[in-house]
Amino acid sequence: MNPLTISRRDTATGPVLHVTGDLDYDQAPVLRDRLDQLPVSAGQCLVLDLSGLAFCDSSGITALLAARQHALAADADIVLTAVPANLMRVLTLVGLDQVFTLRPDSSAAS
Amino acid sequence: MCRTGGVPEPTGTGDEAHTTAAFTALLEDSVEDLYESAPCGYLSTMMDGTIAKINATLLDWLGLDREAVVGRKRFADLLTIGGKLYHETHFAPLLRMQGELRGIALEMRRQDGGRLPVLVSAVVKHGTEGEPLLIRITVFDASDRRAYEQELLRRREDAERARAEADEARRQAEADRARLADALAVLQRSLVPDSLPDVPGLETAVHYHTASPDQLGGDFYDLFPVAGDRWAFFLGDVCGKGPEAASLTSLTRYTLRAAAHHDPDPASALSTLNAVLHERYTGGGNPRYCTCIFGIVEPGGAQGRAVVRLASGGHPPALVLRADGRAEFLPTPGGLLIGVVPGAPIGTAETVLAPGDTVVLYTDGLTEARIGPGRDDLFGEDALHAFATDHAPASPRGVITALTELLEGFGDGLDDDTALLALGVPATPSTPDPASPTVPATSHTS
Repeated sequence: MNPLTISRRDTATGPVLHVTGDLDYDQAPVLRDRLDQLPVSAGQCLVLDLSGLAFCDSSGITALLAARQHALAADADIVLTAVPANLMRVLTLVGLDQVFTLRPDSSAAS
Repeated sequence: MCRTGGVPEPTGTGDEAHTTAAFTALLEDSVEDLYESAPCGYLSTMMDGTIAKINATLLDWLGLDREAVVGRKRFADLLTIGGKLYHETHFAPLLRMQGELRGIALEMRRQDGGRLPVLVSAVVKHGTEGEPLLIRITVFDASDRRAYEQELLRRREDAERARAEADEARRQAEADRARLADALAVLQRSLVPDSLPDVPGLETAVHYHTASPDQLGGDFYDLFPVAGDRWAFFLGDVCGKGPEAASLTSLTRYTLRAAAHHDPDPASALSTLNAVLHERYTGGGNPRYCTCIFGIVEPGGAQGRAVVRLASGGHPPALVLRADGRAEFLPTPGGLLIGVVPGAPIGTAETVLAPGDTVVLYTDGLTEARIGPGRDDLFGEDALHAFATDHAPASPRGVITALTELLEGFGDGLDDDTALLALGVPATPSTPDPASPTVPATSHTS
């Protein structure tokens, strides 16, 4: 199991969370907690940089959807960047590629 | 003691005589004192128990004066009520019979009202003609010994009580567990039917693998008649585990059943479910959703054909095993997880089942089963397609049996609930006969 680490940096357009490790049943709550405490303002864009994500199961998908709810509740946008191929396959399978704005890398947000 | 060479043994007759004389003097001097101040109580009584002589030690223990005792009290008068009874019923008769008693536990009564636990030995002194003359009694203070015994007893009682409490706690825990298991079983049956109804002109089969026997499953399926000769069926997977997942499953199942009766169009049923789940779970930061594939089948067409219309929200595609040996997925592209966004797009597909064709719905426990050391070494859709091709053609029961064996072969790699539902038109066309319906093969494993 790869430990989950979440680092945050703030940009002009909004917070960027760099998520690395495994987003699974045991560790997804860590991201959920982190999001609950993350201030996001109206008009900002929350970026989840997933370039270091090693594994993501259905609990991880739920955490990503919670992030989306959190951003939308603040009238902010959410973008997933550098989505790994395995997660991309799952997102496409369940149709979430239509729900999330996806970008190849996080440079555009920085 | 260990004598070493350093101290010489007393030798010589002069020394021996001297020592003997010293001992004798000492003993003669102390006979009376030994009697009075011995570390045990002595008393002598007449044969009727009247005390004739008693030593100072015992008087001191009992807090009595010699004048109040000698010639005035009997031995039994010195005992507690319980001691008196025992003396009456056991001690005195035995002593008369045997002439002596040893180590009898009695309780004596002290002047201050306290009790003195004692061990008593007694012997009858006889005269030259063998007639009994008097009784000699020795009394040992057994307070310490009694305290020790009581401590032992108390500890044994404590241990027994602790064991009884542990037994009771265990019994209670087992009862609670059994009650919970019963409740879970009832709830599980409300989420997933034990058996499917008979559908004229179709054969059906299901399998449900529960990853954890004490957790409510997150997968669900159902099959039921709707208007006309049509039958609705669905199979899906809710997010999460345990009671929260179960309440979502329950809402999902009964919403779909109601929706199907209202408008038996697959996409409409899922749209209704999407609206219900989104309304119920949006906000609160705790998204709840499910993937689901919903179908309407209309059996009894020309040459026994059955039309199947499917709608899917984010669910893996259905698989069809054709009578001619082909296997194909029925893609339902564009469908989204149910409950995530309002007005979620629903993917649809349609196919016709000819005799010998079988359609299989499954949850991703099957395709996401791990088949290697890595977390991403999954069975996958390609392997499932190859497996289906190998087994086609197959009846619903045949394909469910094969897939069940496949699941069992995954061993620990299968760590998620898995639901399988197959329905197909029997290979040998037969006129639907309500009198001899096909029996669904239903199997549950854990």
